[in-house]
Amino acid sequence: MTGMKLGQYVYGDSLIHRLDPRTKIICCILAVISVMASVNLYYLLCLLLLMVTAIVSARLNPKFIFKAIYQIKTLLLITLLFQAFLTPGKAVLTIGTITMTREGLALGSINILRLIILFMGSLILLMTTTPMKLSIGIECILRPLEKINIPVHNFATILSISFRFLPTLFEEASIIRNAQKSRGSQFDSPELMVKIKSYAAIVIPLFEASLSRAGDLGEAMDSRCYTSHPNQLRMNSLKMKGQDVLALVSVSVIVLAVIPVSILMK
Amino acid sequence: MSEGIEVINVTKQYNVFAMEKIEALKDINLSISKGEYVGLLGMNGSGKSTLARLFNGLLKPTKGRVYINGIDTADPVNLPEVRRLVGMVFQNPDNQLVCPIVEEEIAFGPENMELPLEEIRRRVDWALQVCGLEGKRHHAPHLLSGGQKQMAALSSVLAMLPEYLVLDEPTSMLDPQSRRALLDQIYKLNKQEGITIILISHNPEDLLQADRLIVLDQGSICLEGVPRKVHANAKIKELGLDAPSLYQLIDHLESNKFPVPESIKSIPELVEHICLEL
Ligand SMILES: Nc1ncnc2c1ncn2[C@@H]1O[C@H](COP(=O)(O)OP(=O)(O)O)[C@@H](O)[C@H]1O
Ligand SMILES: [Mg+2]
Repeated sequence: MTGMKLGQYVYGDSLIHRLDPRTKIICCILAVISVMASVNLYYLLCLLLLMVTAIVSARLNPKFIFKAIYQIKTLLLITLLFQAFLTPGKAVLTIGTITMTREGLALGSINILRLIILFMGSLILLMTTTPMKLSIGIECILRPLEKINIPVHNFATILSISFRFLPTLFEEASIIRNAQKSRGSQFDSPELMVKIKSYAAIVIPLFEASLSRAGDLGEAMDSRCYTSHPNQLRMNSLKMKGQDVLALVSVSVIVLAVIPVSILMK
Repeated sequence: MSEGIEVINVTKQYNVFAMEKIEALKDINLSISKGEYVGLLGMNGSGKSTLARLFNGLLKPTKGRVYINGIDTADPVNLPEVRRLVGMVFQNPDNQLVCPIVEEEIAFGPENMELPLEEIRRRVDWALQVCGLEGKRHHAPHLLSGGQKQMAALSSVLAMLPEYLVLDEPTSMLDPQSRRALLDQIYKLNKQEGITIILISHNPEDLLQADRLIVLDQGSICLEGVPRKVHANAKIKELGLDAPSLYQLIDHLESNKFPVPESIKSIPELVEHICLEL
């Protein structure tokens, strides 16, 4: 279950921590756009540098980030191999009927770089923003949708409750898994049906527990005066400050730079 | 407005299937005055949780009325006020913490009450400090121990400054040490903050500090009074509720002509008394 600790909020008091969650979300979206828009290596390296700067200034543990990236190694490897073998170009290596090309390797490496940048961006967002602030941030960004009767607030509440209970759910799953194992469930059986049955023996009690939890939670929320139209005032209510404007402007500039860069490169 | 809780002729039925009904509470009459520490004792299924949920309007009586400071809980308009007055702590520490960070959890109630920001902050600081959770402020609830989770639940209710605190078997999932800490905390809230306590348990040992013990059996109040008197009654043994070891000790002492005053509420106190007398 160590995987669950990834991307979880780490308490800190850096500039990045203090930024408004909306600023961070928007910066992440901008980063996604710019990563999508460019295949230029130098530009991507610039973005990588930006991410590293953010990590350093947020005082996040670099070892932790490396470990997190290492955890998605399979995804990265598959990306590389697919690109390398499926892109036409100058052959480097031939295995049977498929060939690895130089162009493919280059493209694959660029794509790995893109994925890593995106992954780092989302890690920074999740590790420096409390889940509650994150869901308030998303709520604020989506608030205009309330005009067309989409219950944005309820959506945000659901989101924040999910943040709260995901780890509990994983904990429970592992408890049930061990309980079933000790009664002879075979999770690593080579037979598919046996495997499916074993997993059903986890999912069903887990589902049951979640239903009863939902009832309990409803009561706990009701008894603390929750209504589906709560006030917008929160203890951690959001306020854009000078630092947010600064962050937004500088990230926008870097992102907009993608246009001249890609024109120049052509 | 009359202070205190009044339960008048309350019956509560659950509809199980379309036709079948379970009568969880039968014609209950009860009044609890401000500042009291009431223990509610009963076996599983005796209707304790049902009664608890009637106190803050989570359930409505099928017949009869429940008044909090003179406010009728059956009228939906009164619910916000009733729920502010009567705080609830539930049994399962995991299933009552809503927010992903402790501090936000404690702010949840005050935020819903639409208090000013400054006031919310003040209350969160106070509630954290009262429950000794300052160090856990920025933690995620799932990283707390069971006892700490229950303390967080208590503190998130305290932040609403309730006049009455209803705790539905809060100790039943805790280890002995956390149980002790929670009970001491409850006692302190009653004595120092003047909060009226209604502590529910199926374990008589939890309820030694109560001013009054109410015993429920199959939806009716079958005994009521000072805990020591209630446990002296033969009826309680029939319900399968053994007297706490403190009272058993006192019984032995008194049958050996060693009088023990009413005011003694714990074994350490008893020991101190014996040492002074000898
Ligand atoms: N939601 C419900 N639906 C139907 N029956 C219920 C419900 N809740 C409780 N009961 C029944 O009401 C009776 C009293 O339950 P409860 O108040 O939970 O007792 P306690 O808390 O003392 O164990 C039990 O017989 C129980 O089965
Ligand atoms: Mg109960």
